[in-house]
Amino acid sequence: MPVAITGSSMVSCLGGLDETFEALLAGRSGVSPLRTGDPDKLNVHYAYSIDDAGAASKGTASGGPASTGRASTGTGLGTDPASNDEAGPRSAGRWLAHCVAEALRDAGVDPAERRVAVIVGTGLREHRAVEQWHGDGAELRLAQTHFTEAVRSVAPDVTEVHTLANACAASGYALALAVDLLELGEADAVVAAGCDTMTESMLTMIGRVGTTTADTVRPFDADRDGVLLGEGAVAVVVERTERTAKNRPALGLVRGVGVGCDAHHETAPDLAGIVATMRDAHRRAGVAPGEIGLVVAHGTATALNDPTEAAALVEAFGPDGPPVTGIKGAIGHTSGGAALMSVLVALKAMRSGVVPPVVGLRTPIPEAEKLALVNGQPLRARPRVAQVNAFGFGGVNAVTIVEAVDV
Amino acid sequence: MSERTDLLALDGWAVHAPGWAAADLPGSPEQPACPPERAKEVLGRKGLLGKEPATRLALCAVHRALGLPPGRPAEPLPGAAGTAVVVASNFGNVETVCTVLSDMRERNGSVVSPMDAPNASSNVIASTIAIRYGFTGPNLTVCSGATAGLDAVRLARVLLLSGRARKAVVVGVEPADAVATKLAGLRPGAHPPLAAAAGVVLLGIPGAWDEPTGLRCGPVARHREPVAVTGREPGELYGAAGVVRLASAAARMAEAGPGAAPATVGCGDSEDGWASLELVPGTPAGAVA
Repeated sequence: MPVAITGSSMVSCLGGLDETFEALLAGRSGVSPLRTGDPDKLNVHYAYSIDDAGAASKGTASGGPASTGRASTGTGLGTDPASNDEAGPRSAGRWLAHCVAEALRDAGVDPAERRVAVIVGTGLREHRAVEQWHGDGAELRLAQTHFTEAVRSVAPDVTEVHTLANACAASGYALALAVDLLELGEADAVVAAGCDTMTESMLTMIGRVGTTTADTVRPFDADRDGVLLGEGAVAVVVERTERTAKNRPALGLVRGVGVGCDAHHETAPDLAGIVATMRDAHRRAGVAPGEIGLVVAHGTATALNDPTEAAALVEAFGPDGPPVTGIKGAIGHTSGGAALMSVLVALKAMRSGVVPPVVGLRTPIPEAEKLALVNGQPLRARPRVAQVNAFGFGGVNAVTIVEAVDV
Repeated sequence: MSERTDLLALDGWAVHAPGWAAADLPGSPEQPACPPERAKEVLGRKGLLGKEPATRLALCAVHRALGLPPGRPAEPLPGAAGTAVVVASNFGNVETVCTVLSDMRERNGSVVSPMDAPNASSNVIASTIAIRYGFTGPNLTVCSGATAGLDAVRLARVLLLSGRARKAVVVGVEPADAVATKLAGLRPGAHPPLAAAAGVVLLGIPGAWDEPTGLRCGPVARHREPVAVTGREPGELYGAAGVVRLASAAARMAEAGPGAAPATVGCGDSEDGWASLELVPGTPAGAVA
């Protein structure tokens, strides 16, 4: 059963979807010197962080972070829940609340009138707030450690809010469950979302286990130096196609989402598990690999992910597979939000007929020589069906198949 | 066609609360459950290095719910492929997060053990269970506060009814370390001290698990009023409560035998709301022909 995406909103270090997409096309990276923690102690010097201090003016200038502007109220980030002021803990929940509200407005869905469930995928939950409580004496209430309160602050009538900590595949998992809830008839609309704020503890681990001195993320590049963290939030509203409000064109269709677990290694990806999840997604979507015209890869630029993902794509698609791009060179690894942000970029690329290049890529790794990586310049193409990969720590995989809609 | 179609099979359970035995907390081992540092008594020595207390408690409970003898099982467990794992835990890795933060700030990141890298990710309990037993199905970690346990049951039910899996291992677990205990205090109202505990139930489409018990559980309902708790508990169970209580109720119902009364199991608090479900014995009361 196809499911329509009827509303969306995202916030990355580059702004909303439009600003993010423009930067991708221009090959521009949102990386900046690390502002969370002590870079020397962390052994990490760059990140793709959201500049809260400058958010108000940036938000006003760009008309807010709404992805489409269709239903934006025009509130700037400075007065919005999306803003994190310097005094309180940096909260992913505030970016999330902003995106959930925007996506519901965009879709014209009112939770007071219909059964709307919310599923939030996150990697690091509100651990930044926990760190600031533990290390800096910031105030914290227990209910702020998950996302129910943040969601209900903008959508008090939703039937249920789930916080899923599914690492870097979290919002892909959220979308899978959203589709399931619609198919089972247990909700009329579902908001699938993702969010994360970078934490000093995760930065510590990246600086500790990596050999990285990376100043930017270079997915599939022979000289890649590992991953850098991004942050932000994303939300989409999904509804059964026959139930969508009239005169509201869908942004795209979710054909199917495959989810699974490698059950292989705590941090390393596994070729067999990834290929199995891709095939599960194809089966659920009812598509053959040859019908897929675009892949937005997970592409983290780590030593292990990129060659494993490249091999999996070659195994799933053969040597003449579709164009492959990725977004982490521009906005970093946004963890919980990564899957859905990639979904929105895939849908925008299909609507606009331009596929952005892999920002940061120069010379592809040998394992990717059989992949049609979009390198250097945007690619003019009109794919109709796209695949979005998301793989997380613990071997949790989510692969989404989306289809373009004629507007 | 004698059964309600909205009921799932509950074909296994276990509770592992250190110091508690079956006589006081049904579903527990006959002898008082071991603390996390002695998890090797249940699990064998291998694969426990660097594992947090919550992961160890969860593994102990899963191991016994699967009916496995002490010691690491042959990998993968027969029939494990495709099985879903859904874990409810809010405090599982908060001590690691805070310890890593403090150590890094006091010295620098190089003093932190790379062994803690997997623990920095909040889904470490669910992925560790999957790796140990070979559960390749959907793998979820639910962190939605006081209702997390029954939220996990709810999402496992969605995975089963949507055909993503036929069997699901559902876990609720919280540790009771210093950071978790302090965090648990950050809410209004009086609550007992946080207790370390894990509960497990094996849910499935009827017939999917090899050894059916006949027990069935219904859908999860959300409401604004608490459900009375049956029997003694080790303390505040928070996100583990829903699954620990369900496992305990299943043990009690199995002990009572045919004709046992249905039981309502709930969890929640004033901030996160409450959730409940109905557990019914072998021949479902209220069955629809």
